[in-house]
Amino acid sequence: MHNTQLVQAVWGGVLFGSVYGLMALGLTLVWGAVRLLNLAHGAIFIVGAYTAYWVVSTLHMPILVALPAGVLVAAIFAALMHVLFIRPVIGKPGFDNATLVATVGLSISVSAAVLIIFNPEYKVVPPVLSGSQNVVGVQITNQGLLVIATSLALFALVYLFLTYSRQGMAIRAVSQQRDAASLMAIPVVRTYGVVIAISGALAGLAGVLLSPFFFLNPSSGFNPMIQALIVTIFGGLGSVRGALVAGFVLGLFESFVEVYLGVAWALPGVFLLIILMLIVRPNGLFGIGEVRRL
Amino acid sequence: MLEIRGLHAGYAGSEVLHGIDLRVGEGEGVVVLGPNGHGKTTLLRAITGLLPARSGEVLFAGQDITRWRPDVIVAAGVIHIPQGDLLFPEMTVRENLLMGAYHGPTWAGRKARLSRVYELFPWLENRAGQLARTLSGGERRMLALGRGLMAQAKILLIDEPSLGLAPLATQQIYASIRTIKEGGMPLLLADENANHVNGLADRVYLLETGMLVREGPAEQLLKDEALLESYLG
Amino acid sequence: MAVRAAPARPEVDREATPWRRLSLGTAGGVLLFGLVLPWLLVRLDIGNFLVVLLILFFMQAVVAQSWNLIMGYGGIYSFAQVALFAIGGWTTGVLAHSLGWNPFASILFAPVVATAAALLIGLPTLRLRGTYVVLLTLAFHELTRVFAITGPRFISGGGYGLTIVPGFPLGNVSNDQRLIFLYYIAMVIFAIATFVIWRVIYSPLGVAVTALRDSETYGVSRGINQFRVRLLLFAISAFFTGLAGGYMTHYSTGISTSVFDLSRLIDLLAMIVIGGWGTFMGPILGAGIVIGLDQALEGIGDYRALAEGLIVALIAVFAPQGLWPALRGIYDRFLGPEPAEPQLAAEAEADSSAGG
Repeated sequence: MHNTQLVQAVWGGVLFGSVYGLMALGLTLVWGAVRLLNLAHGAIFIVGAYTAYWVVSTLHMPILVALPAGVLVAAIFAALMHVLFIRPVIGKPGFDNATLVATVGLSISVSAAVLIIFNPEYKVVPPVLSGSQNVVGVQITNQGLLVIATSLALFALVYLFLTYSRQGMAIRAVSQQRDAASLMAIPVVRTYGVVIAISGALAGLAGVLLSPFFFLNPSSGFNPMIQALIVTIFGGLGSVRGALVAGFVLGLFESFVEVYLGVAWALPGVFLLIILMLIVRPNGLFGIGEVRRL
Repeated sequence: MLEIRGLHAGYAGSEVLHGIDLRVGEGEGVVVLGPNGHGKTTLLRAITGLLPARSGEVLFAGQDITRWRPDVIVAAGVIHIPQGDLLFPEMTVRENLLMGAYHGPTWAGRKARLSRVYELFPWLENRAGQLARTLSGGERRMLALGRGLMAQAKILLIDEPSLGLAPLATQQIYASIRTIKEGGMPLLLADENANHVNGLADRVYLLETGMLVREGPAEQLLKDEALLESYLG
Repeated sequence: MAVRAAPARPEVDREATPWRRLSLGTAGGVLLFGLVLPWLLVRLDIGNFLVVLLILFFMQAVVAQSWNLIMGYGGIYSFAQVALFAIGGWTTGVLAHSLGWNPFASILFAPVVATAAALLIGLPTLRLRGTYVVLLTLAFHELTRVFAITGPRFISGGGYGLTIVPGFPLGNVSNDQRLIFLYYIAMVIFAIATFVIWRVIYSPLGVAVTALRDSETYGVSRGINQFRVRLLLFAISAFFTGLAGGYMTHYSTGISTSVFDLSRLIDLLAMIVIGGWGTFMGPILGAGIVIGLDQALEGIGDYRALAEGLIVALIAVFAPQGLWPALRGIYDRFLGPEPAEPQLAAEAEADSSAGG
């Protein structure tokens, strides 16, 4: 009995952890480079998920085709968002206001759009890997293992990309010292677009991989985004390492709370944890930016 | 090499430079002396395209670069080493240097150029893996200089190289600049301090409230103590 | 000479901004009109429906103004507004339904509890930067929503909300009269809220807030305590939002968990953004527009949220001031009074005529 609970808690924690990490990764990259809080992140998540659903159910293609389709469409959507709503206000004093409101507005539009195109009924997106193993009474789904593996792989990929590639270094440069980046002739605004598109692809991927775990509906994006926000801030805005670590810390915390205290305590528990972090260490685990205290 | 005619530039609502005429010849070291706030930084930014010129011309190697985009100006070899370094704090010394070579054609030859910069500043190679923000003031300044050299510079525009540096570091940075000049690099140096530019400067301009009030060969102007004192205080 | 310790308070320039001088005549006229209006409307066929719309307008305008007070003026990116509305509504609903209180008594607790909740989240949150406020208030919204749906039965009503809440006991009157009384209550709430917010905005506090919003370092250097100012605004905003929530609960004799729907959020946001972000009349104008458009475009259903979201996004990026400043500009140019002569000319004239 205790064994089952423990395994359940650990499995849930690792699974949630990788999910949160994946969601937070895109968010933290965009914050670091563009200083933009992308509240449309959840919308991009469901764009990916619904695209995959559509490919499978309407085009009757296998999920392995739907997956890249979802990622691609999500990335394109993100790029469009950048061109239409972010780029026009870059450098202007009302940037924070405008982008905050615009991303919220877009988020709700997307929700409404999928409600119209598809209907409010819950959709089922097939998993890439089906089946599961039974470990001391806990269902370890193969899709879950895939999610964990993908998340870790993506973190590694992003880390390598940022560290060794020219574009990746440019992204880091822009995140750290934008004026110097211009001086090096790094195209700052285009770099913003690249980061936003990458973040969109990551959100879309998360959407496709995760939707088999719940019933996809127009408001499915809201919760993952809040989780992503919490993890991003907990780990430190702009820190990739932070997103990974915080994802697992919060994932395990939430899972253990759920298993041992009950589902109802999960969200309040996380809420308390984040408030504690903001009081003790407002920059988050690995944050480098300034957080003003009044 | 670099020729500026009648340059006017400023920020929203105010003009800072009122008609600058200046030139830097092949291999020449030109120093613009002036107190703070009189337009030295504005001048350099206007040349490198970070600030749009209101009127006038900037010519480099015969081409009119006045309206060019900053990254194209960088590609042409006009490299600006800014006031205050503007390094990438969380990147290593090596990464900062590599970023200097970011732009298109310069990226391909970066490894070679990196070796050359390491030759010029051997201690940079020692600290190649160290984060920029852990360097001292003087080291940072030299890193900024090295980073500028990575971009296949044909002319260096250096803004206040001794700003915020202790005396020893100041000496070292000017020594490094002198070495670079001896390699044939034309320089346009903006400085507040006349003391260290001996041996660097071939010609000197005095900048006051956005206008060049004097010009002359370095030996002449720099020796005129009275003039410098009344001017720079 | 003793140095005055009190922080300097900026003067509000009354001459330069005639619209800030609310003339008693205008106010009185509007008030009178508002009082008489329902009696006229109920005589019309669709009149009752219009009165209902007006009631809706009053309440939405209160919430929109309250949100604009903290977001548009205070620069506090809070998404807790809907949750606070719900808290107000649930408070009075539970007190009236489960404890049998008279709605007129229970409604008094709606703003109180909402304000208390606001202070509770405000204390840790308002010290921090914008991003963190967004996160924490969103999380608060979510927490409140989940609690409303899955909480104990007397709150969640099985997940649908409170469905049997007594309405205002207005005695044995006809439907028309009942509607008119409900209208008056709504109007009074609207009037009080609007007045208080107006006073806050055009008081030294309000000017201080605008100073902080436009240039924080300056404001702080002038002795304005940013945290306390924000907390105060947050409390005022929550107070009226909770009150509106309480009213709507008794008006609709119930409150459902659909108040948490994103479509409600975008409605409010649209009111502020379309009407005029950070202006006094903006949210009021916006409320009228959104409610009016919603009625005019009755058939579009789900497309409404889609359109609102896009419009909000487009306006935020391309026309961030919203409608009110544009209208005010037109008024100034074509209808407004001539600007006052510069002081110097007037003095020179006085000098020359006096001195000879």
